[in-house]
Amino acid sequence: MMAKARRYVLAVIAAVAGLLGILASHALAQDAVQGSESVEADVSARSVSIEADFTGTEIVVFGTVENSKQPSAEAGTYDVIVVVEGTPAPLVVRKRSNLAGLWINTQSIRLASLPSYYAISSTRPINEIAETPVLDEHGIGFAHVRMVESGSSRTASTDPKDMEQFREAVVRLKQRDGLYVRADYGVGFVGRSLFRSTIKVPPNVPIGRLTARVYLFREGTLLGQYKSEVSLARAGIERFLHDAAIGYSLLYGLGVVLFAVGAGLVSAYAFRREA
Amino acid sequence: MYVYLPIAEMAVHIPLFLALGGTVGFLSGLFGVGGGFLLTPLMIFLGIPPAVAVGTSAAHIVATSVSGAVTQYRRNNVDLTMGLVMLAGGVTGTVIGVEAVRMLRKAGLFDVAVSLSYVTFLGAVGILMLIESINTLRHVHATGQSARRGSGQHSFVDGLPLKMRFKRSKLYISAIPPAIIGMFVGFMAAIMGVGGGFVIIPAMIYILRMPTSVVVGTSLFQVVFVAALATVLHAIQNKSVDVVLAALLIAGGVIGAQIGSIAGRKLKGEQLRFLLAALVLLVAVRMAYDLVITPSELFNLAPPVAAR
Repeated sequence: MMAKARRYVLAVIAAVAGLLGILASHALAQDAVQGSESVEADVSARSVSIEADFTGTEIVVFGTVENSKQPSAEAGTYDVIVVVEGTPAPLVVRKRSNLAGLWINTQSIRLASLPSYYAISSTRPINEIAETPVLDEHGIGFAHVRMVESGSSRTASTDPKDMEQFREAVVRLKQRDGLYVRADYGVGFVGRSLFRSTIKVPPNVPIGRLTARVYLFREGTLLGQYKSEVSLARAGIERFLHDAAIGYSLLYGLGVVLFAVGAGLVSAYAFRREA
Repeated sequence: MYVYLPIAEMAVHIPLFLALGGTVGFLSGLFGVGGGFLLTPLMIFLGIPPAVAVGTSAAHIVATSVSGAVTQYRRNNVDLTMGLVMLAGGVTGTVIGVEAVRMLRKAGLFDVAVSLSYVTFLGAVGILMLIESINTLRHVHATGQSARRGSGQHSFVDGLPLKMRFKRSKLYISAIPPAIIGMFVGFMAAIMGVGGGFVIIPAMIYILRMPTSVVVGTSLFQVVFVAALATVLHAIQNKSVDVVLAALLIAGGVIGAQIGSIAGRKLKGEQLRFLLAALVLLVAVRMAYDLVITPSELFNLAPPVAAR
């Protein structure tokens, strides 16, 4: 518990220090020549260690609009979209249908790669921010998430409507598991140029690298983007156990059995007198 | 009160899973079955990935059966010869079963195969046991004494070769039926994440005609080894045994199993069999219901199974 509290405190300190740094550089930039706008951003933690007490985490994505022409935080001159993606992973999507009274998986498509986790946060709903082709190009939004289909699918038809059905199912199920999250008004401006957004990372997030992308829009035009990474890595006992299970699976399996046998024997003898 | 599971890659509530292990352990101590047929479905219901549930449940069965087997052994209720013959078949069945799991997962038919196996075996065994125990209970009620098994009865088992003497069971029968039963149970252990006690106990009573006193002990003895093998094979082939989850379930389970076996001595054999039959049928009906009714979600996601 202490370790977790300490981690949060450190994260907050890092975030505040980052914000101050940006404010300072921004103050200096005020004197600079008025140029075209761009975006600079960062994340509150570059690495998150997953230990036995991991119950999810929060990542603060913050940044600033360089050369902001926005009169106030509420003016809404700029739109910001923050996308945090988990490591791409392959996935099989199956569909049940009724076969002789039983509900059985009959169709499947195999996706070679799609983000295992996808969090999107924006100043307002994304379809108000930009046109579909722009969103498609950058993979912004659930409807535009990059899904690469692989060869070995097992479906009756190749009808695009059917494919769309599978695609929607992926997003729906990932949302149900808390792995695809959306916050339409999750990005807020603090002052004329500073913005921030808090992204929730659930405990069941697939372990790997998270990529945070920040997109700056004005009237549907992409002005700039920024990319940063957060590494999620097992640490301590979690890392030891996982490495053992993958790298030394025979020893690991025998270890589990020995532990189970030991626990059984101990309890049998502990209860002997009462029995 | 949460702990992160290294293999399942999720956080679970510690007291909830201790209680789950304890409850299943209690029932397994009470009835002399591993309790896997309850544990695996309940874990899946609580969000553990099915493959991890099956692999980890095997580890839990090892612990509760060791605990129970030692207690039974001390009371001289284990027929070692019979147990070893069954085990020889059990090892073969488990190896085949673990490979079958891999192939079924690849084809996307694992969930259905597991559900169908549960419905078929639990349903058939449950109904048989229920009828038998109701008849016995009625008989006991009418005459005021427990029913005796007919010692003069003959069945197809008597005609087979390779006869062996099973001292503790007071039997002189062929080694083939026990070995086949063991193999069948080993296969189920791997595919369903169960120890197979609910099949092996009726088989020992009705097919091998072993005395009821040694049935539970002998079954537990062979389940220990079959479940241990299943655990190791799942760890190697499917990398689906979560040691932290196993520790939680085992901690609750071994205590529950001892309490259960104490409680079991206060109930009569006929009553135990009736209760077990009811429980087995309940799980079967629940699984059948899920297979037949229109699901609210037709789609499901799974990680692809790597080709070897």
